[in-house]
Amino acid sequence: MPIALPLLAALIWSLLPLLWQLLTSLRTPEALVLQGPAAWLQGWTLANYRQVLQGDPPFWRYLFNSCLVGAASTGLTLLLAIPAAYGLQRQRPALRGGISLLLLAAAMFPYVLLFLALLELARALGWGNQLLALALPYAGLSLPLAVLLLRAAFADLPAELEDAARLEGLNLWQRLHRVLLPLLAPAVASTAILVFLFSWNEYPIALTWISRNDMLTLPVAMARIAGSSVYAVPYGAFAAATVLGGLPLLALVLVFQRQIVSGLTQGAVKG
Amino acid sequence: MTTAGLHCEQLSRRVGDRLLLDGLNLSVAPGESLALLGPSGCGKTTTLRLLAGLDPVSGGRIRLDGQDVTHSPAGERQVAMVFQSYALYPHLSVLANLELGLEVRRVPAPERRQRIAEVLALLQLEGLERRRPAQLSGGQRQRVALARALLRQPRLMLLDEPMSNLDAQLRDQLRPELRALLHRAGHPVIHVTHDQQEAMGLADRIAVLESGVLQQVGTPQELYHRPANLFVARFLGRPGINLLAGEAGVQLGIRPEQLRLVESGGLPARLLRREWQGSQQLLWLDTSRGELLLLAEASLSPGEQLQVSWRPEDELRFSSASGERLA
Repeated sequence: MPIALPLLAALIWSLLPLLWQLLTSLRTPEALVLQGPAAWLQGWTLANYRQVLQGDPPFWRYLFNSCLVGAASTGLTLLLAIPAAYGLQRQRPALRGGISLLLLAAAMFPYVLLFLALLELARALGWGNQLLALALPYAGLSLPLAVLLLRAAFADLPAELEDAARLEGLNLWQRLHRVLLPLLAPAVASTAILVFLFSWNEYPIALTWISRNDMLTLPVAMARIAGSSVYAVPYGAFAAATVLGGLPLLALVLVFQRQIVSGLTQGAVKG
Repeated sequence: MTTAGLHCEQLSRRVGDRLLLDGLNLSVAPGESLALLGPSGCGKTTTLRLLAGLDPVSGGRIRLDGQDVTHSPAGERQVAMVFQSYALYPHLSVLANLELGLEVRRVPAPERRQRIAEVLALLQLEGLERRRPAQLSGGQRQRVALARALLRQPRLMLLDEPMSNLDAQLRDQLRPELRALLHRAGHPVIHVTHDQQEAMGLADRIAVLESGVLQQVGTPQELYHRPANLFVARFLGRPGINLLAGEAGVQLGIRPEQLRLVESGGLPARLLRREWQGSQQLLWLDTSRGELLLLAEASLSPGEQLQVSWRPEDELRFSSASGERLA
């Protein structure tokens, strides 16, 4: 199997940091610095997980917060991006090209430059420490890319399909709901995952908008664990939090694996 | 003037400064089948889309059974269309494909089931209800598309290149079936094709389009024997019509099968090459009046000196300037 070797190398290359993280999360602080083969026999512990899960508030609270914000951001983004993408695809080519270019520029813009302005906005509107309010900037920042991805997916559908549905008397909503969206499920799923991932990982806005301990999202909460002591870095607890924080994503990707892959390769092959 | 069926007057479609269809006048009676024939880009698919309501009309009127539908939305015209790609919903079974339209038009479930059962039987699709379009053959897909169109109970049936995705053998087999079925259904039928065989096999009348302008409408025989102009004369008939110079300002057209080889008194000709076509041979002749095509049963070899003749009444005379046929 000559192909398997480079494949294995690639796998190790990309999985090694994750494995290291997993190992770190299961060891005592002393065991981390032990050397030699004997080190593998001692120092295993679940104390890091216990510490993280029994904190105040418990770690699952942050998981829940992040899931809530992620779901709200994803839902809001799709709700706006699907009709926008459909409308964009129906425009004259010149207008469509111009708008797509603007969307691309917006998608490329480094959003970190915006967080101070967004903070002012949140303060003025009283959106600080409102968990769901986070979904608004997240959806706003995700929309350009989501619209571009979904527009390309709409463009890949044969135009005659929608014509046929129009002749049969389906109105716009029925055409989207009964004909177009079922066919776009892979593209919608991969777009949803991208938006969810952005929301899951987002740091600066979450850091500045939320200060109440029980409302933090995962990235901010994890940063607090890392910075909880001036004198020591709690590698073990930090790693345990990372592992726990990665689990929901892993589950999500496993469930939607088929859709994501077929969404990524959409348009590559006819049929 | 009767009001039943389809009537369009001065129908036009303009996109930017391009005139895709220029003042089309056309009527199709219930039960009649008309073929729109022409090379690609001649405006035939444009016409179909205007009639279906898929594209906006730039000028003129469309009336269906006496009702002005020029600006009605596609879904309210009761016009059905079989698309070139068939446009079956790929994620739905045959049954769901047929049912979707009835469902959104709020046809009650028992009636839905009954009508679908009827049309499935008519098109011999029973047993395929649970299949997805991808699991059907080309001929079966065509029949499902046709079934979906028939369920619309249309006032006008449109077919866009209905045979182009089928192989030649299946096409020959399905043509008479389709023709009989459409006749029985009794609505006006328009089908678009660039294949004159298909047009002649499926249609009662043929309308020839070129550059968005209607050239001639008539029965296949009329178009073949009395073409309105050079374009129609050249477009219909395989092998194509022979054109040679007549008196000043006149071009003569003679069909290859109307040319005869004679012993004496004809136009001297030399055989350039030949093509065996089964029952007959297609001969290319070089004459003083230009190259001629001729169908003959004789077995001849290239280089032979021959004489060719035709009956004066078989000559079609066209104006060299306008291309119109002269009386």
